[in-house]
Amino acid sequence: MLKIIFGEVENSVYHPPTYFDNQYEDEWITDPLSVAMIKDIDKSDVVGTHLIQSPVLGPISTKEISGGVKTLILMAFDKSGRIFNASSCGDNCAKWIVELGKKKDLTINLHHVMDFSSVPEFEAVMLNTNVVVHSYGEYLEEAITIKER
Amino acid sequence: MKGKYHIVVQNNRLRYELDIRRNITIIRGDSATGKTKLINLLEQAADFGEGSGVEVICERPCRTLGGRDWNLVLPNIHEQILFLDEENSFVKSQEFASAVKASDNYFVIITREDLPNLPYSVDEIYGIHISGRYHDLKRTYNELYHIYSPKAFSGKERPEAVVVEDSNSGYEFFHAVCEENGIDCMSAGGKSNLKTVMRQLDKEPALVIADGAAIGSEMNELYQIMCQRPAVKCYLPESFEWMILKSGVIDGKSVQDILNHPEDFVESRNYFSWERFFTVLLMEYTRDSYFKYSKNRLNGTYLHEKIKSAILDVMEGVSWRE
Repeated sequence: MLKIIFGEVENSVYHPPTYFDNQYEDEWITDPLSVAMIKDIDKSDVVGTHLIQSPVLGPISTKEISGGVKTLILMAFDKSGRIFNASSCGDNCAKWIVELGKKKDLTINLHHVMDFSSVPEFEAVMLNTNVVVHSYGEYLEEAITIKER
Repeated sequence: MKGKYHIVVQNNRLRYELDIRRNITIIRGDSATGKTKLINLLEQAADFGEGSGVEVICERPCRTLGGRDWNLVLPNIHEQILFLDEENSFVKSQEFASAVKASDNYFVIITREDLPNLPYSVDEIYGIHISGRYHDLKRTYNELYHIYSPKAFSGKERPEAVVVEDSNSGYEFFHAVCEENGIDCMSAGGKSNLKTVMRQLDKEPALVIADGAAIGSEMNELYQIMCQRPAVKCYLPESFEWMILKSGVIDGKSVQDILNHPEDFVESRNYFSWERFFTVLLMEYTRDSYFKYSKNRLNGTYLHEKIKSAILDVMEGVSWRE
């Protein structure tokens, strides 16, 4: 289940891309889920653990993938119990966040109202108010009433 | 600092072109559009100069600002264009807002956060548009006649309800216009209340009128509400004072010249946002005349038929009469 908490929270990582650069595990990169997310968001191919083929930059290191994908990979694989700031992700990452939330209990931190309108089926718990929302419309209604950002 | 600046940042693989014309510019948008890469290139150029292999072409020095000691560094930088990456959480602090207000630099901030402490314009929110190795800025919110709506503009529309951001002269003006034409009019009592009032609107189509010059921090949420309620549109001129100046009721070719390129007249250190500049300009031009303008209370002259019509004519996409 996807859980969303707005505003400053304990145990959260404000800038996940920096945390990723220092903590990622090689096997995360070649996992089919990461390969698919890197392909979808960055339009790049995973050649190996340490090599990504970007259409614009050519061959790049794992540390050069986008901040949004780094955050998604942390949400998928990090076991530290930290909460990652999904405001590091663009709206093009929304569907992957929802997808991850279907596979496991995923708590994300937001500092802005992310636009989930592109996701057909959306369900989440808004931890600031403990309200369960069953659609993007309900999420937006609830998010706007929450003062924390 | 004032003026508009064209910036080119490039190496042998990437090229960015940007035009910056106000003290605060926001870059946000999808992941993987090269925002952080832009910051990296600027950092390398600042650290190693020409030896970095990065070329930065601009009339003003461009550099990055960040880290824990930003507040020690900033007072020593003048008349430069400063880029801040999204890792800098201090951008949402009141301390940073005060520093920007007092600064004679321009700030380009990469963030998806709303930053309510900073009065930035709806027109200075951009995403990065990519075409191969070329990157340029594309406005996030498109307008026609200053009307912002997710739905394509389809000619003049008469609103059934109007929400005005403030409760001062602008509200008094629109309240009088609405009353005459049988349209509901309410004040939101500040830009941060707009979304609450918008959600409670029970009449459609509705028009929200707010100062575009400082509404930036509300736009993400307002736009999402508009997507849910397509019959609600936003009319976002720079400000009500800009509308009066634009209408031509205040004589003077120099006024229209200023409005054509305000960036050449607005000193960023004196005006946190353009809205304040237009207020001062209008007050200066109407001092000692029967048009004397006060922000707190509307001078009745502005409701005289001819004057009122001229101001309403500035709103090209709105019809008031049935």
